[in-house]
Amino acid sequence: MNHVDKTSETFADQVRAIPGGEHLEMCYSCGTCVSKCMIQQKVEPEYNPRRLLRRVMLGQREEAFEDPTTWLCSACDLCYPACPQEIHISGVIGAIKQLAVEAGYESPLETVTVDESLCSGCGICVAVCPYEAHSLIEKEIDGRMDRVSTVDPNKCMGCGTCVAACPLGAVARPGIGNAEVLAQIRISESGKVIPTLLVFVCDWCLRADADVSLLESYPKNVRIVHIPCSGRIDPQMALIALRSGIDGVLVCGCAPGECHYKRGTYVSACKIGLLGRMFDQMRVDDGRVRFVQIGTQDRGRIREEVDTMLASLAAWKEARS
Amino acid sequence: MTNPNAKPKIAFYWAASCGGCEITVAQLGMRLVTVGELVDIVFWPCVMDFKYQDVEALDDGEIDICFFNGGIRNSENEHIAKLLRKKSKLLVAFGSCACGGGIPSLANLFDAESVFERVYSTVPSLDDSRGTFPTPSSQVPEGEIQIPVFYQHLKTLAQTVEVDYYMPGCPPVVEQVWNVLQAILSGKLPAKGSVIGADAKTNCDVCPRRKMGPSERIKEFKRPHEVDLDPDVCFLAQGVICLGPVTRAGCGLPCIEANMPCRGCYGPPDGVVDQGAKLLSAIAALVDTDNPEELQQIMDSIADLVGTCYRFTLADSVLNELKYG
Repeated sequence: MNHVDKTSETFADQVRAIPGGEHLEMCYSCGTCVSKCMIQQKVEPEYNPRRLLRRVMLGQREEAFEDPTTWLCSACDLCYPACPQEIHISGVIGAIKQLAVEAGYESPLETVTVDESLCSGCGICVAVCPYEAHSLIEKEIDGRMDRVSTVDPNKCMGCGTCVAACPLGAVARPGIGNAEVLAQIRISESGKVIPTLLVFVCDWCLRADADVSLLESYPKNVRIVHIPCSGRIDPQMALIALRSGIDGVLVCGCAPGECHYKRGTYVSACKIGLLGRMFDQMRVDDGRVRFVQIGTQDRGRIREEVDTMLASLAAWKEARS
Repeated sequence: MTNPNAKPKIAFYWAASCGGCEITVAQLGMRLVTVGELVDIVFWPCVMDFKYQDVEALDDGEIDICFFNGGIRNSENEHIAKLLRKKSKLLVAFGSCACGGGIPSLANLFDAESVFERVYSTVPSLDDSRGTFPTPSSQVPEGEIQIPVFYQHLKTLAQTVEVDYYMPGCPPVVEQVWNVLQAILSGKLPAKGSVIGADAKTNCDVCPRRKMGPSERIKEFKRPHEVDLDPDVCFLAQGVICLGPVTRAGCGLPCIEANMPCRGCYGPPDGVVDQGAKLLSAIAALVDTDNPEELQQIMDSIADLVGTCYRFTLADSVLNELKYG
């Protein structure tokens, strides 16, 4: 009897066999990818695509499956254009992750969940998710068949773009739920000083630590709200902020082509762009809600943007008085 | 002392609206006879001959339930809203206009002067030979005539007086009217402030169309007449804006069954403060471009953005609040 001996297939062979994994051994371990990576810089010093690829070549299966690099890569592909070997590294990591999931490993990330009692099954989350983590399923709920969204926790990267998109507040993850973000906006209700400017800043668009700490240095008239991705912004949040007495809202996301969550910055550009068009059509004061896309090379840009916005809001206020 | 066996006293009123809400009540047909036996209609100017003095003569709170349709566009609307509020135990904002402003509140895009200019001077179908232009007071041979003052913008009923229940719909569908009347007669109304005659989830929950898949993104938005619409597929997946995701279910989907997208008349579900702004998240979810110029073109392809997103709720939107305070 002729059968394939699976044990003779190496770990590297398995990775190579998955679409995306085929460029595995082109890596000569220069480490350029590590120097470009925002995760290594901001979240996990142990994050290292170069080392992960070596582990695969050395057949270190369990080590590779447990490596944070396997799970944290969001396929932003900042490393891709920098790789001298033109390896699509997120594709290789995706292949390793697929094998890890097949072997029973689970993502360590905090991912979104769906409250099925609220979900209408509209599928907006399916459409917006950059990772195809959402899908609609038919399921019996309270004695009747219903169509609801479900999340594959091994695909979800926790960006929250679906949380912003869900019309019924049925999708959430700890820290970025509607109530948690709104609590940071509805300042007038807590009796505190109402700031002039509210800045929603995505966790990834500011590469330089100096730019991140700069935000904390602004006086009390600027309030900073950190969000995982600009795609997490629901245009309602900007309106609620303005209604509560805040003069302006600045949303900062990644530059086109650099979005940490692939398409969050494009989704946000569309949302804030359409909101601006609504303001124009309604003839209400324009320029009070702005979206800026900050590139990884734009060191110091955040200061310019905040200062410019404060100046334009001051001019707007003066013109109104 | 109130007679416990007395029939509940009901009132209907029509402010700034088209009259469709009155027709939906008339659509009860023979069931109206039953209603007439079970309740005492004390005011319904559209159908029966009552005068405002009849309402003024009632005791405060004597009307058990008043169904008030239409927004508040002029001083007469406001006067009667306040009068009926005083005379009614329960006031129901009946229909989209009373709840969210409805179609008449799309005029909030313009100031009152522009509205008058358009309606009485520049509209193409106008016979302007008489040069008629309304003013609050005018002299005629018989004396001075005063007409209600037209306000700068339309307000919802709840922006004018306290409202106990909200019953959305343009108009509320007749089966929901019947359900609500039965709930009233059996004393089974929910807590004050609730939306009645509608469901908690959105139209997508009951819409049988196939939903969009993860890769079904679009490059252009089209109006319904520009597409040969597939009756089995989600409108949004076909690039036609549908308000189903941000609109309460309860209407029975008459528009969607007629292969037309939901326009949002049943208003937003709980938790959504601004129906139009929430819809932007659904629209943006579908847009497929990483090119800023193409994004502008895609956004340009949406005709009448405010009119589309807020067709029935502009007066109740945060956008409206930012404009008018």
